[in-house]
Amino acid sequence: MSSIKNIAVSLSGSAASLCTAKYAIYLAKQLNAKLFAVYVIDARSLRELLKTGVFLEVEASEHERDLKDQGSNTLERVKKLAEVKKVEYEGILLKGVVHEEVTNAARNLPADLLVIGELRELASCREIFYDEGERIFRESPCPVVVVKNPEEVDRLYREL
Amino acid sequence: MKISDYLKKEFCIMDLKAGNKEQAIREVANCLTVNGKIKDKEKFIHDILERESLGSTGIGHKVAIPHSRTEVVNGFAIGFGRSKEGIDFKALDGDKVNLIFLMGANPSELNLYLRLLAELSRLLMENSFRRELIAANTGDEVVDIIRKYEAGGIVK
Repeated sequence: MSSIKNIAVSLSGSAASLCTAKYAIYLAKQLNAKLFAVYVIDARSLRELLKTGVFLEVEASEHERDLKDQGSNTLERVKKLAEVKKVEYEGILLKGVVHEEVTNAARNLPADLLVIGELRELASCREIFYDEGERIFRESPCPVVVVKNPEEVDRLYREL
Repeated sequence: MKISDYLKKEFCIMDLKAGNKEQAIREVANCLTVNGKIKDKEKFIHDILERESLGSTGIGHKVAIPHSRTEVVNGFAIGFGRSKEGIDFKALDGDKVNLIFLMGANPSELNLYLRLLAELSRLLMENSFRRELIAANTGDEVVDIIRKYEAGGIVK
């Protein structure tokens, strides 16, 4: 029996994040674990854009609604991908500072493993503080798996 | 992804000829279109101006960030225009605008768009960043300045 019962995966809604989800499904299936997919509405960017006057209130509300839709659609897509492979699944839609919400969710579940997408190359030490992926990686309360090689992930998922 | 991954020297106009807001937007939009970032220039300009009609994107400090999410953008697009004379954008502080960042994104790039827009607005709050952009001589210099500030003031 594996000691990994709960796996959390952080999703951004991008095409690349579906690859991340597929690898998380692969892991959950192999380990007979439950998969929790987490999507966070990026409230920090919205707040900053309002504060600096780039966004109007109405615009921020519209973007927040669209992010919520994107999050719901992403979680629904991943649910279907998990169902096909008979993996127990739960989607979690949150709003806030992305890295804080993801790491809090991992802590509260509690997740035994956190799966995230590939980290981007950092141009400076400053980005360690601003890049959400980097901060999730560093602040996660549990071990983190960083997904790479989309072709290989697709193959693993297909053959599952 | 960073702003400097998208803003190329070819998308920078160092001396805008425009005398008003719409002309300035057109000039930068034309530059982005010529370089393949915009599929339908007139629709793009229409969408940008429609957003402007709700409220000016002149955020003060002689800066404007006209922006829109629209299907006619290939992925994410950002262009830069600088006006020596300044352009009346009906900015929040009433000053004329010298620095214009025109941004557009396909609706599918929502998260990227928000992150880069927030990052740019954060950088533009820094006096020294604006001063260096005002003093830049070429598009290459503009991109280098952005890269430098993205790196926290020190280029890697």
